[in-house]
Amino acid sequence: MLGGYISDLEAGDVFEPVEYELTSFMASEYAHGVEENSEWMHSPEAPGGRQIRPPTMIHVDKMRILEENCLKEKRVAGDMGPDARIHYEYHARHASVAFVGERLIVSGRITDKYVKRGRHYIDYFLEVHTSDGRLVTTYTDKTLLQYEADKEFVDE
Amino acid sequence: MNEHGGPSGLTVGSEIKGPVRVVTPERIEWYDSAMLSAAKGELARVASNIHTNEEYARTQGLAGIIADGMISTNWISSMLLQCFGMAYLENGELRTKFIKPIFLGTKVFVRGRVLSREPNASGTVTYRLEVWCEDGDRTKLTVGDASVEVAAV
Repeated sequence: MLGGYISDLEAGDVFEPVEYELTSFMASEYAHGVEENSEWMHSPEAPGGRQIRPPTMIHVDKMRILEENCLKEKRVAGDMGPDARIHYEYHARHASVAFVGERLIVSGRITDKYVKRGRHYIDYFLEVHTSDGRLVTTYTDKTLLQYEADKEFVDE
Repeated sequence: MNEHGGPSGLTVGSEIKGPVRVVTPERIEWYDSAMLSAAKGELARVASNIHTNEEYARTQGLAGIIADGMISTNWISSMLLQCFGMAYLENGELRTKFIKPIFLGTKVFVRGRVLSREPNASGTVTYRLEVWCEDGDRTKLTVGDASVEVAAV
């Protein structure tokens, strides 16, 4: 279910897409935060003469689309859900480079939600395109909705 | 060869190395705050969560503060960028799985190994690698795989 907590999401939920302009600040700040020192991510001193978005920023897009689709748990704004989630798997396939100044559209859906060994998982599929339709990245993600396993499983 | 090295000389079994870094509170905050800043488009600072607050992390069943999995993913990604340059950004694939929590103070070694090097009909070459982060005891903490298609060298 969209509009609630992240843990309310269900398999088949399709996110309302998010569109934004990639700014120099976004690319540079993220690169700085992860100690990515390639000049390509910090200035136009890059192939094509345009600053490049760090490829792992697809994960920021996940946070961005959750922020707009899970209104009771706006993590970017600082709102906490009932449980801390644990990122378990990241899988990005890049199809092209995104440059600062381009408008990007993030879309996606929940592909699965299940319990395994008492632990609750949710699987995402996301895509990022430029506003003129060029595919930048496809992404799948597996996240634990809470670290602790269900009590009945722990007690077994 | 560009500023990011290039894959010339890599054969099946070749190992590549990324950064060696200790997970510190500052590094965790740099990442978490940068992620929020990038999402907001303005400077932001991470608040209390399992990556910054020991007490809160324990209430969630963790033994202590852990690093966000995207920190090790980013360090692996940097290694791939250093090795494969623009090709990694244009067509690369990276999968990481966070198989063990990375606690504060852990010294992390970023590594990769070429599993295959396959010529394509188009004249390009596809490299497939296993990638991982390990601690000082060589215990793997983050594991994964990657592939990049590059112009033949």
